Amino acid sequence: MATRTSKARSPDAVTLERMLYYLKLTREAEWRIDQVLYRQGKIVGGVYVGRGQEAIAVGSTIQLTPDDVVVPTHRDFSAFLIRGFSLREMFANWLGRANGPTRGRDGSLHFGDMQRGVVAIISHLGSWCPVACGVAMALKRRGQGNVVLVFFGDGTSSEGDVHEAMNWAAVMKLPVVFLCNNNAFAYSTPAEKQFAVKSLAVRGPAYGMPGVSVDGNDVLAVYEAARQAIARARAGRGPSLIECKTFRMAGHSAHDAAEYVPEGLLRQWARKDPIARLEKLLLARRILTRDRIREMEQAIQKEIDEAVALAEASPLPEPASTPQGVYCGADCWWEKKN
Amino acid sequence: MPARLTRHQLHDLYYYLRLNRRVDEQLVHLYRQGKVVGGVYSSLGQEAISVGAAYALEAQDVIGPMIRNVGAMLVRGYRPRDVFLQYLARQDGPTGGRDANTHFGDLALGVIAPISMLGELVPVLAGVALAAKLRQEKRVALTYVGDGATSTGQFHEGLNFAAVQKLPLIVIVENNGWAYSTPVEKQMAIRHIAERAKGYGIPATIVDGNDVLKVYAATRLAAERARRGEGPTFIEAKTMRMKGHAEHDDARYMPKELLEAWRKKDPILRFEKYLARKKLMAAEEKAALDARIENEIRADVAFAEASPFPAPNAAAQPVWA
Repeated sequence: MATRTSKARSPDAVTLERMLYYLKLTREAEWRIDQVLYRQGKIVGGVYVGRGQEAIAVGSTIQLTPDDVVVPTHRDFSAFLIRGFSLREMFANWLGRANGPTRGRDGSLHFGDMQRGVVAIISHLGSWCPVACGVAMALKRRGQGNVVLVFFGDGTSSEGDVHEAMNWAAVMKLPVVFLCNNNAFAYSTPAEKQFAVKSLAVRGPAYGMPGVSVDGNDVLAVYEAARQAIARARAGRGPSLIECKTFRMAGHSAHDAAEYVPEGLLRQWARKDPIARLEKLLLARRILTRDRIREMEQAIQKEIDEAVALAEASPLPEPASTPQGVYCGADCWWEKKN
Repeated sequence: MPARLTRHQLHDLYYYLRLNRRVDEQLVHLYRQGKVVGGVYSSLGQEAISVGAAYALEAQDVIGPMIRNVGAMLVRGYRPRDVFLQYLARQDGPTGGRDANTHFGDLALGVIAPISMLGELVPVLAGVALAAKLRQEKRVALTYVGDGATSTGQFHEGLNFAAVQKLPLIVIVENNGWAYSTPVEKQMAIRHIAERAKGYGIPATIVDGNDVLKVYAATRLAAERARRGEGPTFIEAKTMRMKGHAEHDDARYMPKELLEAWRKKDPILRFEKYLARKKLMAAEEKAALDARIENEIRADVAFAEASPFPAPNAAAQPVWA
């Protein structure tokens, strides 16, 4: 289960900087959502963030080409941004606005866009893994070497759908990469009560696909494991499983104080923060200066401020529009849009 | 290794193997006579798994058989007549003529009724095992699944749960090479199904499913392990489905040579030879057992055929309990 091989390639300076940008942007945008907007009562419903585990979606999704597809979880905010969703769209959805991707129907991350290669997920965790296989099957038939990245958590690994998907992907040699965000807790269930194996990576060979376990808080480790798995999938050699060990640095959602998570664990994992680690590396390699990082942070705050202002100024959906978009008939809004 | 089987127990095993085979053959006759409504799913060639595993359990244990595990149901105490009554949809059958397959069970015999949705019994038997564990009873739960059923989500959820909870569960995968017309190499991308168990942290063994003593021994060890509180065991029993998926399937998709090769490994023939070679069953003992089986089969088929069909106005009765 080596995470780095001798052939490991560090991403170039531009990619490293982009990764730092997306890590910081995600952290700050999610902070605005769960620590500010939610507390101001502006968000209806639950708020689920991926604080502490941003490196997983960033290190992998950053490598996709426009015709690849990603199937993120609700904790993979960065995957949406990297695939081209604007911050304005993201905030508009969280705030339930008429111009958000779900036009105020959903106040979370249950949306996608096939133009941008993002499959919308639903709340039933794992149910999108067979969907990802279906997408991978279509991509395989098109024969252009495209791949699907599909994310799921440690809790979701117990779902039958994940099993069916992984078996199917292995049998059909589908170009799909299964990325497990093992953040140690499924709501309040610790991983050791979720499965009886030390690492979910052993599930890979159990289906006949490679399985590796990496430090999910090391964006370069995630990048390298994903690079190898993506290359394998593009070459027609089938699926891979990557377990990214990380830690959920917030409650299950904003309404969960997560008192069941031992303080010591949070402190321990805070020291492994993926953003601080990448920042240190970029400074050490002299790719960025402290000043440049500060500029980046200021630009991010400005971007977020503007996007939030735009979203807040946007109208809520008209009450009369409620029945629209339930069925797609002759006057389907979706068809008009496309 | 488990304690050696006595001569009497070995004869018992022979009796159940042969009884299973004869029940199966009679069902095919009845089906061809147009007396069976619905399908007949044969256990031909796989009897050693049903019988060997069920025989390794104790009276308080519980099994969840599949439709091909008539042998296990016989070991648990069902009589051939129950099977015939059921397949002939008679009023006196276990489901009163509501179902014409082995979809019946009886907790008094430690048998959970199977349903057609394969793989479903893994979580159910995990539940039985959980109850036993919570009540601190030395009860073991065992279920059989096929190679095809291993691809269902239920199989995964049940096994993972059993592993986490260290439940006294035994899961026997009868790898008979085919899930209807899907060969096992199109069902999964691994050579041995036993490799799956590593993904759950469950110990697994592979046995020759056509060797009743091997199946018995592996199950016995697994049951002892479960009773010691050490958790579930996964057994892959390699065998071959010697007929179509059901009697209506001529299985022309199965290579003839494959069936020929496996016919030589017939579990009953092998066990007979073993008993003869080791001088564990005299010719007259075998003849007596065979005669007993024939009498039983004849009487039970006649009994079932003489039983009435359920009255039409009874159709709605046991819908709600």
